[in-house]
Amino acid sequence: MTAILTSTRASGRLAGGLSRLNGGLVAVAVITLLAVLGPLVAPHTATEAAGVPFTPPGASALFGTDDVGHDVFSRVLYGLRLSWLSALAVVGVGMLIGLVAGVLAGLGPRWLDELLMRITDGFLAMPGALVAIAVVAAIGPSLEHTLIGVSVVWWPYYARIVRGEVRAIRSRPHVEAARLSGIGRLRVATHHVLPGTWSSLVVAASLDLGYVVLTLAGLSFLGLGAPPPAPELGAMATQGLSSILTAWWIPVFPGIGVAVLTFAANLSGDRLQAQSGRI
Amino acid sequence: MPPEDRRDPARSPSTGPDSAILSGPGSAILSGPDSPILSVQDLHVTFRRPRRPDAYALRGVDLTIGRGEIAGLVGESGSGKSVLASCVLGLLPEHPAPVVTGRVLVKGVDMLTSPETRRRAVRRLDLGSVFQDPMSSLDPTMRVGRQVVEAAGSAEEAVRLLTAAGIPDAESRMRVYPHELSGGLRQRVMIAMAVAGNPALIVADEPTTALDVTVQAQILRLLRRLRDDFGCSVLLITHDLGVASQVCDRLVVLYGGRLAETGPTTPMLSEPRHPYTASLLRSRISLTSDVARPLPTMPGEPPRPTRPLPGCAFAPRCDLRTDDCEKAPPEPRPVPGEPGRLSACLRLDELAERPAEPGSASWPPNAVSGRGPLLTLRNVHQRFRVRGQGRHVRLSALSGVDLTVEAGESVAIVGESGSGKSTLLRAVAGLTPVSSGAIELGGDARPQIVFQDAGASLTPWLSVATLLGERLSRLRLSKAETRRHIARTLTLVGLGDDVLHAKPGALSGGQRQRVAMARAIIDPPELLLCDEPTSALDASRAAGVLNQIGELRRELGMTVLFVTHDLGAARVVADRIAVMYLGRVVEIGPADAVVGSPAHPYTQALVSAIPEPGRAIAAPAGEAPDPLRPPSGCRFRTRCPAARAECASRAPAPVRLDAGHLVDCLLYEERTTAGSAAS
Amino acid sequence: MLALAGRRLAGAVAICLGLTVVLFVLQHLSATDPVRVLVGPSASTAQVDAVRHQLGYDLPLYAQWWHYVTGAATGDLQTSLRTHRPVATDIAQFLPASIELALFSCLIAAVLALVLGIGTAGRWRGAAPLNTVLLAIASAPAFLLTLLGIMVFYRNLGWLPPTGRTSIADPPGGPTGLLTVDGLLTGRPDVTLDALRHLVMPAVCVALLPAIAVGRTLRSSLTTALESDHIRTAKAKGLSRRAILLHHGLRNSATTPLSMAGLQLGSVFASLVVVETVFAWPGLGLYISQSIPTSDFPAIAGTTLLLAVAYVAVNTAVDITQAVLDPRLAR
Repeated sequence: MTAILTSTRASGRLAGGLSRLNGGLVAVAVITLLAVLGPLVAPHTATEAAGVPFTPPGASALFGTDDVGHDVFSRVLYGLRLSWLSALAVVGVGMLIGLVAGVLAGLGPRWLDELLMRITDGFLAMPGALVAIAVVAAIGPSLEHTLIGVSVVWWPYYARIVRGEVRAIRSRPHVEAARLSGIGRLRVATHHVLPGTWSSLVVAASLDLGYVVLTLAGLSFLGLGAPPPAPELGAMATQGLSSILTAWWIPVFPGIGVAVLTFAANLSGDRLQAQSGRI
Repeated sequence: MPPEDRRDPARSPSTGPDSAILSGPGSAILSGPDSPILSVQDLHVTFRRPRRPDAYALRGVDLTIGRGEIAGLVGESGSGKSVLASCVLGLLPEHPAPVVTGRVLVKGVDMLTSPETRRRAVRRLDLGSVFQDPMSSLDPTMRVGRQVVEAAGSAEEAVRLLTAAGIPDAESRMRVYPHELSGGLRQRVMIAMAVAGNPALIVADEPTTALDVTVQAQILRLLRRLRDDFGCSVLLITHDLGVASQVCDRLVVLYGGRLAETGPTTPMLSEPRHPYTASLLRSRISLTSDVARPLPTMPGEPPRPTRPLPGCAFAPRCDLRTDDCEKAPPEPRPVPGEPGRLSACLRLDELAERPAEPGSASWPPNAVSGRGPLLTLRNVHQRFRVRGQGRHVRLSALSGVDLTVEAGESVAIVGESGSGKSTLLRAVAGLTPVSSGAIELGGDARPQIVFQDAGASLTPWLSVATLLGERLSRLRLSKAETRRHIARTLTLVGLGDDVLHAKPGALSGGQRQRVAMARAIIDPPELLLCDEPTSALDASRAAGVLNQIGELRRELGMTVLFVTHDLGAARVVADRIAVMYLGRVVEIGPADAVVGSPAHPYTQALVSAIPEPGRAIAAPAGEAPDPLRPPSGCRFRTRCPAARAECASRAPAPVRLDAGHLVDCLLYEERTTAGSAAS
Repeated sequence: MLALAGRRLAGAVAICLGLTVVLFVLQHLSATDPVRVLVGPSASTAQVDAVRHQLGYDLPLYAQWWHYVTGAATGDLQTSLRTHRPVATDIAQFLPASIELALFSCLIAAVLALVLGIGTAGRWRGAAPLNTVLLAIASAPAFLLTLLGIMVFYRNLGWLPPTGRTSIADPPGGPTGLLTVDGLLTGRPDVTLDALRHLVMPAVCVALLPAIAVGRTLRSSLTTALESDHIRTAKAKGLSRRAILLHHGLRNSATTPLSMAGLQLGSVFASLVVVETVFAWPGLGLYISQSIPTSDFPAIAGTTLLLAVAYVAVNTAVDITQAVLDPRLAR
C-alpha cells in the first residue's frame, strides 16, 4: 500500500512540478532580459577609449579603466550579455540534442538505445571541462569553437536524463493504459510520455546554467575564446592579471561579473529543484 | 514508584487486565504492578503545514492497555491510527510541525514531554515496534545480525531471538543482508528486534499488510505466541477487522481522529454498538458474503482531516443520524450491561434492536451466452531474463498455463506474490509478448485494464475530457457526439460533468477510481481486465468498486478477467476461479466449489489462512520458493502437508473432479485412476 | 566485484581510444596547422613540407592516429611542438607538482564537504540561508578566488607568498617529488613548512567548488536518509543520535555524494589549469595553458589523455566503493 501511496504522490509531484516550472523559467527570462538590456545603460561601447588608462574606480569611471583606457564597467556589461547568451546557447543546443537522443534511446529499438548509451557513457566517463579545453585547444581558439567544444561534451548529460525519465515514465501504469486505449504510438509518445520528461530536463538545465557560465569563463580565461579586444569576462581577467597588484579593478570586476551571473543562475536552478520536490 | 494507595480507585485490581477500560482525563500517573502499560489521555495531534490547511489527525483519544493484553487499533486510512502509534513511540515526525496536547504514558513515562534521553530509554527497554514494510524498515546496508544485536545486546541473544521469531538456521542468517531474505523472514527479523530486552509493549503498525495471506497467518500466530511466551502487551494497528479478530483481546475502533467504539473482541464483532463498526463489518468482503446481490456499501466519503466536522465525524454517512449528532462530538460512554465496552454514539441503545437490513435486489441472471470462448490460452510460457548473482538468469513467470474464458463470463485468477498472475494479465492485454504458447482473443476484442492504482493509471497532465476523448478517436465521432458520449459514460460510473476539465491530481481517490473505470468502458471492451483494483482500498471503498464492476459487466455484456490475491473478492466478482502457484494454474473451478470445497492442498491452505472474525486461521508452513529456482515435480510440495516422495519426481497433470472443476495434484490422480480401474 | 573492475577497465580503454579519435578528427578539421606553428610563419613551403614529412603529419589521418595510439601504449606521447622535448618527459617533470596540489585540494575538499554536509543535514531554521551563502561561494569562478586570495593574503596581509611552489633555493629533488613529503623524508622541516605556505592558497581555491558541490549533495541525501523508515526503526530501538548517524545515516547516504565526488574530479582538473596558471605553479595545468597559444597538439592531447585515465581510474574506484558500502549494488 505504501508503494501505491508513493506512486500517487509521485504523479502528483510530476504534475505539480510542471506547473511550478514557470517560476524558474520566469527567473531565467528575467536574467536574459537584464543581460540583453545591460549594454543600454553602459556609458561607453566595449572597445572605445573612454579615459586615461589605469584610472581607479570613481566618479568618472564606475569600475575604473583598463590598460588601454576602456571603461571596465561598460565592458563588464557587454561581457555579461556575451557570457549569458553563450551559456544559453550551449544549454539550449545540449537540451535539443539530448532530447532527441534521449527520446530515441528511450522509445526506439534496443540496439539504438545500446549504441546511444555507450556513446554517452564514453562522454560522461571523461572529465567534461577538461575535454572541452582539449577540444577547443585542438581546433583553435575562437568563440564559435568554444561553443562547439562545450556543446560537444555537454549534450550527453541531457540525453541521459531524458532517456532515464522516458524509461521510468514508459513503465508507469498511465502509459500502459494509454497504449491500451487504442491511440497511436506517436500520440502516446508526445502526449503521455514527453511532457513528463520536461520537468526533470528543465530542472537539470537550470541547475547547469551556472556551471556552463563558469566553464565558459574559465575557457575564456585560458585564452580559448574570442580574441581580444572582444569583451569576454574571462579574457578581461587574464589581460588584467599582470597588473593585479597595482590595478586590481581590471581583473576583479569581470570576475565578480561572472560570479553574480552564476549566482543568479544557480539560485533560480536551486529554487526550481526545491519546488519540484527533488531535494 | 507511587505507593499503592495513589492508584485510581476506578481501576481496582478486581477488574483485572482484561477489562481494563479507558481512563478519564486527569487520572494519576500509574506504574504499579496492575497499572496499565500504556495510557493515552485526551490526545490531540494537529499538523501545521505551511500554505496548506491544518490537518487534525487526532481529536481527543483516550486508551489504556493492560499487562499482557493485545489491543487492536482499527481504522481506515485517515483515521489517525498511525499517528497514535508514532505518539506512543515518541517519534512523531517533526515535519510538518505537530501540535500535541494530552498525555501518552508508557509505564508512567510521558512520551510527549519527557526529555529525549528518557524517552530513548523507554524505547530501548520497554517498547518494541514492528512496522508495515519490513524491506524499508530494515537498514539495507547492514547485516541482519548486527541490526538485531543493536537491540539485543549480544550475538548469542540475537540468535536466540531470531530463533524464537521462527527463523530457521538463525546462526547463518545473521550474516545476510535484508534484501537476501523473503518478506516473511524480514518481518520475523523485525519482530525479533521488537521482543529484544523483554519489552512491556510492542507496537505493531500494520505488520502484515505487505505480506501474502499465508505468511500473514504465520505472523499473526507468532505475535500471539510471543505474547504468551514473553508476557508483553501488544498494540496491533490494522485496517482489517479480520486480522484484528484473530489475535486481539480487545478492539479500539477509530474514526476521523476520535474513538468510535471499544470493547472485548468477540461481543464487539457479533454485536457492534456504533454504526461505523456495524457498517464496517457489513461492507467487509468475506468468504461468506452474499454474492447473489450487490454488496452492502458505506455511502459517502471518509472524513478529511483538514475539514473536521463540529459533530460526529460519521454523521454524514450514518442512517441513524439526528440533528444532535451534528452539533457536538458525542463522548464515548459505557454500553449498558456490557462491562468494558464504550461507544461514542448517541443512539447506541437503538442500535442493538435494529432489525437486519433488507438486502438490495439480487443481480439479474448472468449473461454467459454460449457464444463460445472469447479468450483461450494454450500452454503459455513467459520467461524473463533477470540479473541475479552477477549474471543473467532466466526467470519463469508462467510455465504452461491453459485457460479458456467464455464470452460473458467472469473469471478470477487468484495467487500470492510470485504466482505469475499479473504477468498473465499483462500478456493477455498484449503489453508483453509471451515467450511461447498461444493467446487467442475472439472477435476484435481489444481488452482494457483497470489498474491496481487507479490514480497512477491516469496521465497526470491531461484532463479527464482528454483522457476519455482520446479513447473515442477510433470511432471518428463529431465533437458534439464525443461530448455526449463522455457525459453519458461519466453518469454511468456516478460522476458529474464537473470533473471534465480537472486533472487527475485534483480529484479524490474515489473519483480517480471512477474516471479510470470510465476510460476503460467508454468504448466498451469485450474483455475487461482488472489488476487487483481493490487491494489498495479501504474495505468501505472496495465493496463499491466490486459492485461497479459487477453492474457494468452485466449492463455492457463484458467478459471479465479479474486478478487478485484475495479469494473473498474473487468469489464476489467471478463465476469461476483459477488458483495460481509459481507460474501454474493448480486448481480451477466454479467459484463456490473452489472456495467452498477446495481440492488442492494450496487452495485449502489459502482458504484457511484468510482471517475472518469467528474462525481460527491455519497457516501453511514456509513461504513460496524463489521463482528462479522452482522445486522439481509439484511446485507446492515443499510446503504441502500431504507431500510424498513421488511429488518431487513427477509434475501433476490436471484431474477432473466435477463438471469444470480441475485440480493439478497427484493425490487426485491416483484416486481417479483407481476409480476408473474399479468401474 | 572483480567482474565490475574488469568491465570498467575495458570501458576505460575504449573511452581513452574514443577520446584520441575525437581529438584527432577535430584537430584535422580545424584551420590551425601545427607544422606551420612549429616552423614559424617565415619558413618556406619546402621547409614546412620537410618537417611535415619528418613528423608524419603527411600520412592519412587514420595512420597518424594509429601511430599515435601504438606509441602512447608504450609511453611515447610524441614530441611537443613548443618545448621540442618528448611530451612524456615534460609530463614527468610537471606531474609531481600537480599531484601535490591535487592531493591537498582533495583533502581540503573532503574535510569541508563532510563538515558542511553533516553540519547542515536535517530541516532546521538556518539551513536555507546557509544554503544560499554556499551557493554564492560556489558561484565564484576559480580565477576570481585566486585573484582575491592574492590581493588579501599577499598584498594586504602579507601572510602568504603570491606565486610559485617554494621559495627555498635548493629544494630536495626526491624521492617522491612532493615537496611537503620530501622535506620530512630528508629531514628538512623548513622545506615542508615553506611548501605548505605556498600550497594553502591554490589548494583552497581548487577545493572550494567541489567541496560545496559534494557537501550539498551529502546534505540532501543525508536529510532524506534520516527521514527513511529504517531510521525510524533505529530510533524505535532506542539508539542514540550519534549511533544512528554513524551506523545507519551516513552509510546509507554515501552513494550519491561519492558519485558526485568522483564527477567533481573533472572540475578539480579544470580548476587546476586556471589556478596553476595564476599562481605560476609548475604543474600540468600550467603546461597545458602554456601549450594553448602555440596550438601544441601533442602536449595537449598527451596531458588530457593522462588526466582522463586518472579520472576514469578514480571513478572506477568510486563504483567499487559504492558496491562495498551498499550490498544491493554488488549484484
